[in-house]
Amino acid sequence: MVHLVQFTDPNSREMEKALRAIPKCPGTCIFVDIVSSTAVKYTTDIVLWGRRLNNTFNFISLLNDFPENIVKGIGDEMMLYIPDEVLIKKDTINDYYSLLEEIYSTILNLQRFPLQDMFYHCKLSIHYCTDVYNVTFLKGFNDYYGRDIDLTARLMGKTRADRLVFSETFYRKVVSELCKKGISKDQTCLNHVSVKMVEEFKGIPKPVPYRFIDV
Amino acid sequence: MELTFEKHGSITIIGLNGRLDTTNYIEFENKLLEEISQGSSVLIECTHLVYISSSGLRVLLLALKKAEKTSSKLALCSLQTGIMEVFRISAFDSIFSIYPYKQDALEKLQDQSK
Repeated sequence: MVHLVQFTDPNSREMEKALRAIPKCPGTCIFVDIVSSTAVKYTTDIVLWGRRLNNTFNFISLLNDFPENIVKGIGDEMMLYIPDEVLIKKDTINDYYSLLEEIYSTILNLQRFPLQDMFYHCKLSIHYCTDVYNVTFLKGFNDYYGRDIDLTARLMGKTRADRLVFSETFYRKVVSELCKKGISKDQTCLNHVSVKMVEEFKGIPKPVPYRFIDV
Repeated sequence: MELTFEKHGSITIIGLNGRLDTTNYIEFENKLLEEISQGSSVLIECTHLVYISSSGLRVLLLALKKAEKTSSKLALCSLQTGIMEVFRISAFDSIFSIYPYKQDALEKLQDQSK
């Protein structure tokens, strides 16, 4: 549930109380970016550009499976946040492994679709977040703030077309589930996962371990 | 999800019963690709398929490419409205042969196999 924080007194004690009372909201943050649509926009008319964009949005099953969890979009980049309490209640795609495998399948299907000019390619970053608050400062809006959201956004800098980048934290969550289910990594999209990378990102105080899959 | 198998000459009918998603797509992939690699044409009967995720679509796309490299044919029939909608919005209906009825699909595949 989103917590609205909106006080006129900048030194309000009530605001301090309200902010301190907001619980953390663990979950999975996903940034999705559609590749090349801006370039196409400037070289063709709205029909060719817009049709492919429409088709691609439709194709990304994640957007259809979690419509309530699309937090925001700027142009063709979107942020989804799926709180754990929402994920576990789903009939399908109700764990971290399913989430990753479905995203991988979507990227693969987009890449291998036999008809040309039907879709754009995509790139994504994923992080499992614990330091996140479901809070908004604007009435009528829903938003998520926290250090882990910033980290997910930073991971986008390591993506490229047909690449999924995810934090080591998210990777560990997936591996743990596979172990519990007795599924070998080789049978899943993790068969293609990179070695662990560690890098410093702007604004993030510690080096961040992450991995990627090039589809 | 339950898979059923029926043989009609060189055509194998695979029936999908339930939900095709990340929990079971590997089993379906193995069985479907095995049939195609043996040269069988395959009709996927979807009367009782109630959900298909991207993982399920991925298997179909993989199978289609594999079938194109062999003499096998691949078709689907009896899709429920919701499943047909998924095929339509993902444009999978433009790359697969889809028939409303099993008998029509079977006859078409038999003609193509002659």
